Amino acid sequence: MLMQPDKFYYDNKIVRNFAIATIVWGIVGMTVGLLIATQLYSPSMNLGNQYTTYGRIRPLHTNAVIFAFVGNAIFMGVYYSLQRLLKARMFSDLLSRIHFWGWQLIIISAAITLPLGFSTSHEYAELEWPIDIAITIIWVVFGVNMFGTIIKRREKHLYVAIWFYIATFVTVAVLHIVNSFELPISIFKSYYVFAGVQDALVQWWYGHNAVAFFLTTPYLGMMYYFLPKMANRPIYSYRLSILHFWALIFIYIWAGPHHLLYTSLPGWAQSLGVAFSIMLIAPSWGGMINGLLTLRGAWDKVRDDVTLKFMVVALTAYGMATFEGPMLSLKSVNAIAHFTDWIIAHVHVGALGWNGFLTFGVLYWLIPRIYKTELYSKKLADFHFWIGTLGILFYAIPLYWAGFTQGLMWKEFTPEGLLKYANFLETVTRIIPMYIMRSIGGAFYLSGVIVMAYNLYKTMRAGKLVSNEAAEALPLLKETNEPSEFWHRRLERKPMTFLVLSLVVILIGGMVEMLPTFFISSNVPTIASVKPYTPLELQGRDLYIKEGCVGCHTQTIRPFRSETERYGEYSKAGEFVYDHPFLWGSKRTGPDLQREGGKYSNAWHYNHMMDPRTMSPGSIMPAFDWLIDQKLDTTNTTAKIKAMQTLGVPYPKGYAAIANRDLDKQAKAISANLAIDKIKVSSDREIIAIIAYLQRLGTDIKNKPAK
Amino acid sequence: MFKQFVHSLQGDEIYMLLSLFIFLAFFIGATIAMIKMKKSHLEYMSDIPLNEENAKSN
Repeated sequence: MLMQPDKFYYDNKIVRNFAIATIVWGIVGMTVGLLIATQLYSPSMNLGNQYTTYGRIRPLHTNAVIFAFVGNAIFMGVYYSLQRLLKARMFSDLLSRIHFWGWQLIIISAAITLPLGFSTSHEYAELEWPIDIAITIIWVVFGVNMFGTIIKRREKHLYVAIWFYIATFVTVAVLHIVNSFELPISIFKSYYVFAGVQDALVQWWYGHNAVAFFLTTPYLGMMYYFLPKMANRPIYSYRLSILHFWALIFIYIWAGPHHLLYTSLPGWAQSLGVAFSIMLIAPSWGGMINGLLTLRGAWDKVRDDVTLKFMVVALTAYGMATFEGPMLSLKSVNAIAHFTDWIIAHVHVGALGWNGFLTFGVLYWLIPRIYKTELYSKKLADFHFWIGTLGILFYAIPLYWAGFTQGLMWKEFTPEGLLKYANFLETVTRIIPMYIMRSIGGAFYLSGVIVMAYNLYKTMRAGKLVSNEAAEALPLLKETNEPSEFWHRRLERKPMTFLVLSLVVILIGGMVEMLPTFFISSNVPTIASVKPYTPLELQGRDLYIKEGCVGCHTQTIRPFRSETERYGEYSKAGEFVYDHPFLWGSKRTGPDLQREGGKYSNAWHYNHMMDPRTMSPGSIMPAFDWLIDQKLDTTNTTAKIKAMQTLGVPYPKGYAAIANRDLDKQAKAISANLAIDKIKVSSDREIIAIIAYLQRLGTDIKNKPAK
Repeated sequence: MFKQFVHSLQGDEIYMLLSLFIFLAFFIGATIAMIKMKKSHLEYMSDIPLNEENAKSN
């Protein structure tokens, strides 16, 4: 019997829409990045208002480039390649549209709420709970659309790119849900269910795997599809792709604790994180080598083809970042690098090189194809390639330099045994020139993207979008299992089994690491003198979260003499048991604040908040003068205390109802204390709450209970 | 280092050793699987992205 091929159409319009969104949000996200880069050497660039201050728009930059720029690029790549690899149109045009517009709405709501200060404080998960729910819904829409397409496919076997897409879908879903366990107290405020060490572990299990399963696996999937297409030759080794896929998703999930080395996280969890981070070199380099060797014998093409140039730099950057990552997780290296700009440089080699350049390569290849035309200008694309590459170098090298310099300065002692740079600010002013250089690199990179936008716009104008691209393929015959068939081959035909298996593989690491910290009490020893925050301090803490202070100040002192000399006693797990969420931070643009309480007078803090440069000449901290004008919202104190009680914080029964009385009392005392220093400020201002919180920080363990 | 690491676990050695075992079993299993794969199938799989143009002319 002769079979008739099916006639069908690929949906190119949805691909085009995601492509445009990628470009637009890319420019927006990188512009915000450039703005915050300038804020680091010129505080006036905070533009004198709260909505554009570093603490609030740094999360806007990270969320925009990760979820808006890279996110849309992933969907562009997946929607283009999935249809062709499966020889089927996307499952549902309606779901495609809901996915597209839903995702853009989420991005817009992030762009509004983050500058307003609605933030959970968890890095790359700052969006508040209603947006978290929206993300979940849209992600499920994406999943249904993807699996629907897989089910109605006309190609029996799932190509390796699709495995990466499936793993991305499953893992991001798990990560997002677990890291969004929040107890809402109002429409835009919630508290994380986990506290302190446990919250830190969940956050960095999430944070690291956001890098793994949002910035890496979908991009590897795209690499496995687009690179063979561009080079017109099959992938170097399909065997290697299988090994590298399973190894990558299995090992990556364990590596999170390397973000918490030398903190109060139990030592065994840190060691596990380090061991698996080292192992990660193998699968990561497996992917890079597989990509680069695909170009064997095609290097002459690389010279002429701008898309391949972008791919080669992307793969090289991937290789560099994935070698550097494991090195940074070695405790001795981490001791110097962590909290410095070295990490920012490391991340941007990955982000600008791997994600950015791969995206540009795919855009230059894909847009002319769906518009059935040639690229408007090869010269401009070449210019983009060179200015972008130069941009990465100008961005990364100064920051590596800044990182080494500052990391070593923090640790340097005089022959007498005193800190050589006892004033933290000295270590900041030293690296200002590097910050300036970095922003020049960022400007180069951004200008390249703008040139690309123009080039692609002209390309689109010159051609016409083939919204529905005709294709033909034989329908799939009913499946039969050959008895001698190899198991992985069978697996490649069974998407649902594949999904479950990927889920099991990623759950192993997460569970082995997290469950003992949650259920074995000896992992988080409690300290009797550590008490819950007073209502005023709790309100102050929420302001600290709102203003994004955690973006520049850590609250975790590592057990090094250089740190205990500078900041005081090192951090203990028991000190954070009431911290919903934890606020350890990941970067010290300013000094650590865990033992800030009692170091300075209330008046010092007041003046420092109003204008940091009056107290610390040369400081790069933004002014937070609105805290002095704005009245503290105490209408939610009751709800906040109740929520904390629900989460197990031992406030006395019925305390929620009378909490504001204590709040007023403490606020009046601070206001009276400020009056002694001739500072007249009403006790109901936000500044009072934040001073109360800062003065409390890290003081509990000094009050040893009477024996 | 590993000894010290297991000793600080207070009775959870089994847990740790099991995860090490899973890890080793995974790589040994994967290596055997790789070796046993048929070349014709590997070629078929790696040609999928390049075959789509042919699909239209079928």
